[in-house]
Amino acid sequence: MLKKKSEKKTSRDKQKTLVELLKKHGAQTYDDLNKGDFPKFSIPSRSVSNIVYDKKLRQYILGTNSAVRNSKNTSQLRSFSQLMWLAFFANRLTKEKKSSTLRDVYYSSQAFEIDFEDQSESDNIIVDLEAMLTRPREDFHVFPEERSSVFGDLTIEYTVPGYEGKKMNLSDHPDGYAIGPSLTSAELLETSAEVIIAIEKGGLFTRFIEEQVDKKFKSIIVDTGGQAPRSTRTLLKRLHDELSLPVVILTDGDVYGEHIAMVIKSGSANAAHLRELTVPDAKWVGVWATDIEKYKLPTIPMTESDIKRCHDLKKDPRYQDGIWKKELEVFLKIKRKAELEAFSKYGLTNITDKYLPQKLELAKSL
Amino acid sequence: MSSKESFNQISPSEFFYRNRDLAGFSNPTRSLYTAVREFVENALDACDQKGIFPDVHLSIKAVDPDKPDPKQYILTVRDNGPGIESKHVPLAFGTVLYGSKFGLKQARGMFGLGATMAILYGQITTNRPVTVKSSTDGKIQDQFEMLLDIQKNKPVILKNQTKEVSKTGLSVSICLDGDYAKAGSKIRDYVYQTSLITPYATITFDDPKGEKFRYTRIVKNMPPAPTIIRPHPYGIDVETIRRMLLDTHYQIPTVDDSMITKVRKELGLSKKNLNYSVIMQKAQKKWKVLTRPVRIVVAMMSFLKMDFEKLSKITIEEIDIGNKKLTYWDFGESQSISIDMDPESHYYKQLANTVQGETLTSFLTKRFQRVGPTTASKFAEFAKFKPEHRIGNMNNQELVKLTDALQSYDDFMAPDPSCLAPLGAPALEKGMQQFFEPDFLTVVQRGASAYSGFPFIIEMGIAYGGKISSHGTKVYRFANRIPLLYDEGSDVVLKVVNDTDWSRYKIKGDPPLVIVSHICSTRVPYKTVGKENVADRPELERELKLALLSLSRKLSSFMSKKGQAEAAKKRANLYTKYIPLIAQFCTELAGKTKQPNYKKMITEVPVVEEKI
Repeated sequence: MLKKKSEKKTSRDKQKTLVELLKKHGAQTYDDLNKGDFPKFSIPSRSVSNIVYDKKLRQYILGTNSAVRNSKNTSQLRSFSQLMWLAFFANRLTKEKKSSTLRDVYYSSQAFEIDFEDQSESDNIIVDLEAMLTRPREDFHVFPEERSSVFGDLTIEYTVPGYEGKKMNLSDHPDGYAIGPSLTSAELLETSAEVIIAIEKGGLFTRFIEEQVDKKFKSIIVDTGGQAPRSTRTLLKRLHDELSLPVVILTDGDVYGEHIAMVIKSGSANAAHLRELTVPDAKWVGVWATDIEKYKLPTIPMTESDIKRCHDLKKDPRYQDGIWKKELEVFLKIKRKAELEAFSKYGLTNITDKYLPQKLELAKSL
Repeated sequence: MSSKESFNQISPSEFFYRNRDLAGFSNPTRSLYTAVREFVENALDACDQKGIFPDVHLSIKAVDPDKPDPKQYILTVRDNGPGIESKHVPLAFGTVLYGSKFGLKQARGMFGLGATMAILYGQITTNRPVTVKSSTDGKIQDQFEMLLDIQKNKPVILKNQTKEVSKTGLSVSICLDGDYAKAGSKIRDYVYQTSLITPYATITFDDPKGEKFRYTRIVKNMPPAPTIIRPHPYGIDVETIRRMLLDTHYQIPTVDDSMITKVRKELGLSKKNLNYSVIMQKAQKKWKVLTRPVRIVVAMMSFLKMDFEKLSKITIEEIDIGNKKLTYWDFGESQSISIDMDPESHYYKQLANTVQGETLTSFLTKRFQRVGPTTASKFAEFAKFKPEHRIGNMNNQELVKLTDALQSYDDFMAPDPSCLAPLGAPALEKGMQQFFEPDFLTVVQRGASAYSGFPFIIEMGIAYGGKISSHGTKVYRFANRIPLLYDEGSDVVLKVVNDTDWSRYKIKGDPPLVIVSHICSTRVPYKTVGKENVADRPELERELKLALLSLSRKLSSFMSKKGQAEAAKKRANLYTKYIPLIAQFCTELAGKTKQPNYKKMITEVPVVEEKI
């Protein structure tokens, strides 16, 4: 059964609204200058005190505090100009459908007499623009360096220049497809898959393809490459929202793995200024702390920093109930952890033959 | 002091010859510098006193330029002052301790010793005479070539001639051992700083290397000349009071051998030994021409009924006017003898007046500054003396009591500053402006104040920025218009400057800052005989602090205005840089082709006035 995309926001719509948003801000600034007023922006405050957990949205969001960046104030004039430039640059990228990286942005600024002292200053301005527009930087074509991959029966249609209208099925190449700018901006046309399996590690991603997990379990496999990059999280969200596919997550059996799943589900405090990056219905299916005992997995002891991380997360409002709380407590109790590869003790296909089916079944009841 | 001691007396010249280190002539470097100072300061003082704009030319030339230092130099200082009358020239330049500066007023040098010391030094190092050229009338110039007879403290004139000239003035030229290689920078500093504190003078200096330094007159007004004044009660000690009593002859003279010789001489009886009654007759005849001390001795002799022979064997112990008794000690008899005095005798009146002297109040009002009859009576009450107490009757203990009381009585008026000659704030300001060309300049002249009865006035100026280099705070110290160049570290001015927390006045790091401090006093409290650093008297330190405080506050307000102006400029620069960029970006973003009209936003930035 092929699933067609639902009539939700498409990639093209997104671009259109972004351009309009940028134009709106540009016009505001233009009018101010014309009147002889110093233009200013209001940017939601990203200070810790303004980051709150929204239970309804099931993610961190920014509170109501906002800071005004006023070009009249000489201590803000520089960063105002940088922000203005970035909006201008983002507008060009979006219109010309060119992609760029954080590092590119840093260097591109120098062509316009806008100098950033270092990349971290330009990265910061990028986050400012994200917060101002409440859009992730990928929307205005600024991508991180790291790449993750996707594989499975999914037909897409490119929107990037030179490939417009070109279609592609994501199961055609056995190494999977890198989740880059062209894939992120592509239209998701149809799929036979019934579930999305996000997996933390590239090695296991390859094993899953070899073992034809996509066919056996009618799934699209996504390699998050550790902590999922935002483009990957965007894709997961689109797959879930546009194709109505449930998302399950497999990570290493440790506190970091648990949190990788949590970030996919409910985002991070760092990205509290952004929406559309979370899959609140995503389900973490393993490896749980309780699985270590249950599947008799070989373990390694937790380090000091692992334990500290457990205690930190215990204070996080998202870890106050359900499996999140329970598994965290068990980790703290046994003070041991197990990687996904630990299943290889029982044979290389043990994880796909035994563990995965059980977990997928379990996910339905989670 | 009746005992006859057999010390050899030496002449003042001899004394200074033996102790020339004290006067700053210890080595060729220091001596050259000191000699320059003495002659230049004398020249300036001479002009100041006559209200003449000083025009002083200093020249130093090597006798043999090819020789290495130390070597002989010819030092010449020429001025346009009043000159010195030709009859005084040999004594003024040929003896030590001959001078006119013995009054109580502010002058650069004291007593005029230095010039003679320089001449003396020149003579002993090179055995060459001093050349003095002087004209008091602007027509005839007397020229002298002289040597000093050190043992006799007398001038030896080698040559004396006259010449026609067109202006008054004095020129002194000596030959001396000096080390210009080492002393040069100090001498140049000295000339530079002297010009700074004497902006009404033109000073030029031709140095041995052929360099010419010219400092021309900057201000057209001379500061008023100081006047000579009487001492202030706070400024005296027991010895000073005793001398004041002596001055007025209200004292029974000690009848010793020299006194007897004096009496004989005045009576025309140097060689003759006459009996008592003949002496008295002689005295009667000559009474009108006798000096006061001789009159007193004669008066005593009239009661003692003694001749000179007998008189030399006694000493007067007490003249008790109240009981009309005269008591003396007879060496021959080794006993004290009292005799009655006849109050009807005119000799008795002579003695009574002498012994009792003036009343205390009259003495105070006549001999001290700023003491009137009312103050004098109030003081007498404070000091527990009767106002009509005759000062001549005072014994040692009473003198000490009087002196202590004079210094501890709070209600004397402050010392009279008319004996001081500050430069004046406008002249100091003009001088500093010309010398430093700063961005900011302010000067202050404090009111007169006093320490230990010596009046003083502080003048101070502070200059910042402009052509002043950023090598940190530079302090120029002056006292009585003399630059103080040595021993900076222990000076009270430096202490006050260093104690100031400059960051409170927005001064940081090594600021381009110049401070000029001028202490004017009848007696500057120097720490050492070298007269290069001033002691930290509390009254002086307080005045210096207050002066610096008022200047620093003004500097601080300048600095904050400057800060504001700089901030405004910086702001304007930032707007000029960024607003066009913002305009460029938003134009494209807004989808427009024509840039917004932002020009006035850049030009209308308010610029804070940088005027002081």
